[in-house]
Amino acid sequence: MSGTRRLAVPRRVSVQVADSGQPLLVDGHPVDAIRESWLIEDRWWTPRPLRRRYWEVVTLDGRDEVVFHDLRSGRWWRQR
Amino acid sequence: MDGAIVICALLPRFELTVAAGGRRELLGLPAAIAPRPGSQQIGEVSAAAEAFGIHRGMRLGEALSRCPRLRLVPGDPAGAEQLWEAKLGALEAIGAAVEPLRLGLACFDAQGLLRLYGGGIEAVVAAAREALAMPVRLGVAPTRFAAVAAATRTRVRRSLNVDGDERAAAAFLAPLPVTLLQTLPPLAELPAALERLGIATLGDLAALPAAAVGDRFGSLGLVAHRLANGHDRALRPRAPRVPVEEELVLPEAIDGAGLEHAAGMLIDRLMANPLRGGRALRAATLSASLIEGGGTWHERVVFREALGDPLRIRLALLPRLREIPAPVQALRLTVTDFGPVAAVQQTLTGDPEKLRAQRLHEAVQQVRTVAGVDGALRVLPIDPDSRLPERRAVLTPFER
Repeated sequence: MSGTRRLAVPRRVSVQVADSGQPLLVDGHPVDAIRESWLIEDRWWTPRPLRRRYWEVVTLDGRDEVVFHDLRSGRWWRQR
Repeated sequence: MDGAIVICALLPRFELTVAAGGRRELLGLPAAIAPRPGSQQIGEVSAAAEAFGIHRGMRLGEALSRCPRLRLVPGDPAGAEQLWEAKLGALEAIGAAVEPLRLGLACFDAQGLLRLYGGGIEAVVAAAREALAMPVRLGVAPTRFAAVAAATRTRVRRSLNVDGDERAAAAFLAPLPVTLLQTLPPLAELPAALERLGIATLGDLAALPAAAVGDRFGSLGLVAHRLANGHDRALRPRAPRVPVEEELVLPEAIDGAGLEHAAGMLIDRLMANPLRGGRALRAATLSASLIEGGGTWHERVVFREALGDPLRIRLALLPRLREIPAPVQALRLTVTDFGPVAAVQQTLTGDPEKLRAQRLHEAVQQVRTVAGVDGALRVLPIDPDSRLPERRAVLTPFER
């Protein structure tokens, strides 16, 4: 509504995962394919390091989603 | 917001009071502003109508089924706009930099006026009350939303002061109902959804994690959460302006071609008005008094670009006359926003880069007239190579 605001701020998302850790459902939408997965570790030199496992997936209804698993808090987030 | 002392002036049931005109007894009865032509939704309602569960925006059929005795008053949007403009001007005349929130609701920061009026907030409040010269509720608080809340909680003859900082504002807001968020137009739809989830007070909302509120309600939810926690944006006062307007009272009510001719004369008179000072018109309001108690009609027109040519102004305004639902007794044209002096003259010579920059600047101003300050933003890269997407860029107001 005013001033400066960040783009691509992560938003909470509900994800069900397989035993291997890969997403099966994103916000209730079944995952059709995993396009890519990568790990980001950053700010490890600070008291609040970041460890994220990213997944780019395509759901059955055709959406391309980028979600990540926060490996410290265990929560899932959507990011674009 | 540190150090701000925000005063909120609330003129209760402003639109209904204006629409009722001399028939003040209507305000004590179940009454509502009749739906605008083509709409089914009623406007502002009286306190007696609220007791029946009727509220602004309710469909007429439902309102009548709740209260068959409901009186419908023809709206007077043009009259309300005109009186509100006069009230804002009166506040500006005491030195206040005013941010209007909606008709009958405005805020200003009293910090700069304290010494002017002898150092006490009571003196500034008294000056505002005298300037407005009609029943007004005044709330004083460190933030805009807390001041609005205070104004809704006080009586006409007294003001309610919330002393302290943002924490004091949050403590004051905590027991108040979430329906107060409806006083800020962008958040009007939110309280109903919050109440369905059992979030009844602003304190309940403030206690929720911001991330959970953001997930469920998006950016508007986050705005409401910040307000409930006593945080608010700084005031955005409007630029004080001298109204430039022309009115034509017609000897008899007319419509059709006669009305178009009258509007043409009005445009010519407005363009010749010395107060215009050669400036182009960015936006104007066309308003009309309708025949025999039919109320008023008004329409704000934002031109595609600032115009200084009467012919082009006619082309933009005259088609709007066909939307007027009844013959017209008086027609008024008011400039609401000005563009640059002598309009934007397209030249055949000159530096193309400079011309392009000028046109871009002009386009941004026009977009902001239509869509507000946030109508034109730019993506500003701050750390484009960051591995974290949220660190790469921000949205900022477009400036050049």
